[in-house]
Amino acid sequence: MKMRKPCKGRLSNVVLKNAKYWNGKSFELRSEVRLNACEGSETTEFDCNGALVLPALFGLGLDFMEPLRDDVYTFADGFEAMRKGGFYGGLYESAANPIDDADKFTAMVNRFKTEELGGKGFEIKFLGAYSKGFGTDSLAEMVELAVAGVAGFGDGSSAIPHSRFLRLAMEYGKMTGKRFFFQPMDKTLRHSGCVHEGAYSDMLGMKGIPRIAETIAAYTILETARFLQVPVHFKQVTCGETLDLVCRARRVGIDVTCDVNLYHLLLDDSCLETLDSAYHILPPIRSAADREALWQGVIDGTVDAISVNHTPVLRQDTVVNFEDSVPGALSLEVALPAIWNKLVERVGEQRAVELLSTVPARLAGAAPAKDNVIVLSPDRPHMVVESDFAGHVCNSPFTGKELPSSILATYINSVWTEL
Amino acid sequence: MSSLEIKHLFGLRGVSKHDIRLILDHAKQFREILERPVKKVPSLRGMTVVNLFFENSTRTRTSFELAEKRLSADTVNFTSSNSSVKKGETLVDTLRNIEAMKIDIVVVRHKGTGVPKFLADNSNAIIVNAGDGAHEHPTQALLDMLTVEEKLGTLEGKNVTIIGDIRHSRVARSNLWGMTTMGAHVTLCGPSTLVPRNTELMDQVTWEPDVQKAVANADAIIALRLQKERMDDALLPSMREYRNTFGITQELLDCAKDKVIIMHPGPINRGVELDSDIADGNHSVILDQVTNGVAVRMAVLFLLAGGRNNENA
Repeated sequence: MKMRKPCKGRLSNVVLKNAKYWNGKSFELRSEVRLNACEGSETTEFDCNGALVLPALFGLGLDFMEPLRDDVYTFADGFEAMRKGGFYGGLYESAANPIDDADKFTAMVNRFKTEELGGKGFEIKFLGAYSKGFGTDSLAEMVELAVAGVAGFGDGSSAIPHSRFLRLAMEYGKMTGKRFFFQPMDKTLRHSGCVHEGAYSDMLGMKGIPRIAETIAAYTILETARFLQVPVHFKQVTCGETLDLVCRARRVGIDVTCDVNLYHLLLDDSCLETLDSAYHILPPIRSAADREALWQGVIDGTVDAISVNHTPVLRQDTVVNFEDSVPGALSLEVALPAIWNKLVERVGEQRAVELLSTVPARLAGAAPAKDNVIVLSPDRPHMVVESDFAGHVCNSPFTGKELPSSILATYINSVWTEL
Repeated sequence: MSSLEIKHLFGLRGVSKHDIRLILDHAKQFREILERPVKKVPSLRGMTVVNLFFENSTRTRTSFELAEKRLSADTVNFTSSNSSVKKGETLVDTLRNIEAMKIDIVVVRHKGTGVPKFLADNSNAIIVNAGDGAHEHPTQALLDMLTVEEKLGTLEGKNVTIIGDIRHSRVARSNLWGMTTMGAHVTLCGPSTLVPRNTELMDQVTWEPDVQKAVANADAIIALRLQKERMDDALLPSMREYRNTFGITQELLDCAKDKVIIMHPGPINRGVELDSDIADGNHSVILDQVTNGVAVRMAVLFLLAGGRNNENA
């Protein structure tokens, strides 16, 4: 017996015909699948023609940038992007507005629940900041934030100011029992780099970020985690050397999880040759060898989840030369069609669902997808155009490119969206 | 074929031997014109060239401006310090505003890699790269090639050694691509903090850490300018140690061939990368490089504008 939800807005009952429906282990062909929103709401019939119906995704790394430029990208745009891309929830961490006290957390949660923004019903979890304003050496009020309900503590992808502060933040935050989410990056080794330090950066004369900027920071974090017995998560690991550190840490009992950004699995630094600022992503897209090492980590289970790190960037900040552009990429709308086929080819369907949906949700302490589903045609290519993206932005390396599969429709929070 | 395959000059990587040959041959002709009492030709009469310099430059900008005037073009100089860029105008807006004034060619220098290509993607003007970050400085390399040909007869089979801060040098990169395309053997040498660490995509050159070995077989040596800010960035311990290890001194020159030529893109840090007696000595062709710079830039502007004129016709 499915839960009946109050009928409002565009809620719809859905009858999916001829769908390959995910039964928790594999796809099985069903002539009819009924997804019920509520009594009395209209019923939509959709012939899937053998397309896959899989659980909706959970996005690690959401940032809708509000209130930075809410004339350009808003929470409402973010929710639209989630519907288009088939995300029922995500782990939100605001770089523009760090959640460093309980009042900010409450305000953010209430804002997300505002009905006119369309966010009600999404399974959004939040990372609190462990430092005031990110990157400072003042502790945020972590105990109150934990009581208020943050999923863990993050750094907003800012570099850790110094090792002593890292120790103190983790030592204080240990009281909460929450996990710390880090994007490991040594700021002095990063220096002014904006791309992977490798053959392409050296050939093009661009300032590079070496792998050791990540591994040295990761090692410091892991040693601190071992010393204090605090669980940690690495966001957007970019190279095999960091995954080696993760494996070694697990062997000595450190509670460490990690994710890999889908763009790091799909691209390598040969894209720099185009000098196109759409490829300006931080941490940087590394070499083909690094990409393969990440895939090995996905295959052998070192990588727990695939993250999206959805980052809208104002158009005027992308229509400049590479080094002066603002890094970041949209991903919610294109993540699944871009990676599904390759992921299934490498790890199979069950692990693919785990990497994109089940495990990211578990890491964020969120509920599973339940009746939220995506109808995906794995063999129908999709040409990405600017209008595919919500809001007044289109900063994705995939704009103008063909993706191997396409989303036909999504059913998120009982709202049916055909694409 | 007497026209260029390229429509813009972004760099020398990927530019064909045909195009480089055409530019050098035209430059030789313009070099002769520069020796005449009347040095001006009407080739670009009626065309407007904007020198869009977002980085400080004296000799490159002057050289371009002189080349433009020798070709009878109308020239406008635009520097970031006296422009709306200071007021927050974007690069594209700056270019489009200038373009709206009906200009034909933009010569651009910028700290960012790929800015010339970016501007070409966003405008209809012919774009000439006068230096973009540490990426390329193609006209400097072309004038270096012209100088080698002028002094040694040909680039084919010649050994050219470039010494200094290779990692941050757009001159070294352009020379690497251009000279190897023309058949020269290029050796690069510098302190380990100032040479690229990942050279897989630059494997057509020889990387030699020993400066004496690097110069031993050289027909031409290019000393790169050492930027003093590198000291502050802890890339080098001192000017003194650099000079003693990698500077072109008489002692080092004694290890080289008798007829080796010494080149430098300027401005020279005398007593650092190049001793004064070497810079002013018999082996030095530095002032010839400066003269050739005007000739090469005339050739580039002439040929690129000619290509556009042919298209329009």
